[in-house]
Amino acid sequence: MAKLADGRALPGKLFIVEGIDGSGKSTQLDMLRKWLIGQGYCVAFSEWNSSPIVRDTTKQGKKKQLLTPTSFCLIHAADFADRMERQMLPALKAGAIVLADRYVYTAFARDAARGVHPDWVRQVYGFAIQPTVAFYFRVPLEESLKRILDGRPRLKHYEAGLDLGLSDDPYASFEQFQGCIVRQYEDMVDEFGLVVVDATLPLLEQHERVRTTVEPHLADALRAERHGWREVLAAEGLEGRYLDEMTAPGGQP
Amino acid sequence: MTEAEFYGHGLPGFKKKKLPGRLIVLEGTDGVGRSTQIALLQEWLEAEGYAVAATGLKRGKLAGRGIKTAMSGHTLGNITLNLLYATDFVDRLERLIIPALRASFVVLTDRYIYSIMARAQVRGVDPAWLRDVFGFALIPDAVFYLHADLAHLIPRVLNARGFDYWESGVDFLRAPDRYESFVEYQTRLLAQFDAMADEFGFVPVDANGSIRDVFETLQAQIREVVKDMKSAKPKGKDKD
Repeated sequence: MAKLADGRALPGKLFIVEGIDGSGKSTQLDMLRKWLIGQGYCVAFSEWNSSPIVRDTTKQGKKKQLLTPTSFCLIHAADFADRMERQMLPALKAGAIVLADRYVYTAFARDAARGVHPDWVRQVYGFAIQPTVAFYFRVPLEESLKRILDGRPRLKHYEAGLDLGLSDDPYASFEQFQGCIVRQYEDMVDEFGLVVVDATLPLLEQHERVRTTVEPHLADALRAERHGWREVLAAEGLEGRYLDEMTAPGGQP
Repeated sequence: MTEAEFYGHGLPGFKKKKLPGRLIVLEGTDGVGRSTQIALLQEWLEAEGYAVAATGLKRGKLAGRGIKTAMSGHTLGNITLNLLYATDFVDRLERLIIPALRASFVVLTDRYIYSIMARAQVRGVDPAWLRDVFGFALIPDAVFYLHADLAHLIPRVLNARGFDYWESGVDFLRAPDRYESFVEYQTRLLAQFDAMADEFGFVPVDANGSIRDVFETLQAQIREVVKDMKSAKPKGKDKD
């Protein structure tokens, strides 16, 4: 059951995934989403740092390196608040399932690694909905670094934690920064009762673990009638020519 | 201020606490004449030999434009807007206000966290949460609370720019028209400011009078606030 900050229960279910870059959490969330949709559930999805209202400001701040640890924290909180107010909360009130790729724990881990007071970050996010289940994809630091850095990608300033002055070399800085974040996550496992998934297991085994954890919560989740149009076609002897464009990805029926 | 003090946790990495400048806030509801007074005060203080920096809400480089864009749409929630204001505020605090105070400027600010809190509180945002979030704000040297009756505010607002969508609370009130909405909203806002006056030690300034009366009141008060600072003007040449 998802709960409002004041403890009131919401009819919908909120499942979120957390973990450092390269932990494979997004892949797992996508698998869960497809499975839930296949089961006929009404599923909404929200991704970290994607609010259309706030994103441009964040992008500018990152590009021009205007962000300090405190403004970095607040702008991400604004992004989260917008997604919560407009996407997550309405869907949860309607009884739907909401999946979130990264949640407040990402902020708690990153902002604390940047030296922001951990209590204050928790206060800032005091309005956040309590998730039904929060998964933490645990992966050894070396493994995640290998997954991310093998292609020698160009690391961005804040992504690499270069604003912390740990090292001038983006790769060395990234490694140290990710290390700080892992320690923050590990401390939060007990604090917030995160459900740990061993992210070194084969994909399907991880999915199995996620699915069995989620399943008991689904009994009264909202289902969407997704294939009603098929019955109409059959009954009326129609072909559904004009439905084709609508059934393309993102279409409604 | 000599030693920086914060309302709450303050800012991470803030070490050198000496801030020899002065932080002076003008607060008050919409149309009460804050920006006019700040323009006058800035000129006067500069003529007196002080270095002055002026700032106000939504003027930060990071989030100023983002807030305005977001407010021009109709999908903005209360918590989101509040956090955008907080982002803009801390951006100006860290990159303008604190450096200026360190360099012994008199910083005049048109509104501070109190306006942000008041507008959020009338919309039902939790006051305790607001105080937590704004725990990084510096405690100013003085907060002048300009207050005027609605009867005085309405003609000023009409003459200036009319009844603005947000300043009339159209986003959440269900008044029959924008005038009624403005009256209702500003009444509620004034009640919030009045309630905060004690909590944050506002110095009340009656803004029903003429611009000149208000200016002279502020002048007298601000002279006290800056009197221990050194201005660039030799003592003998002071007019008073």
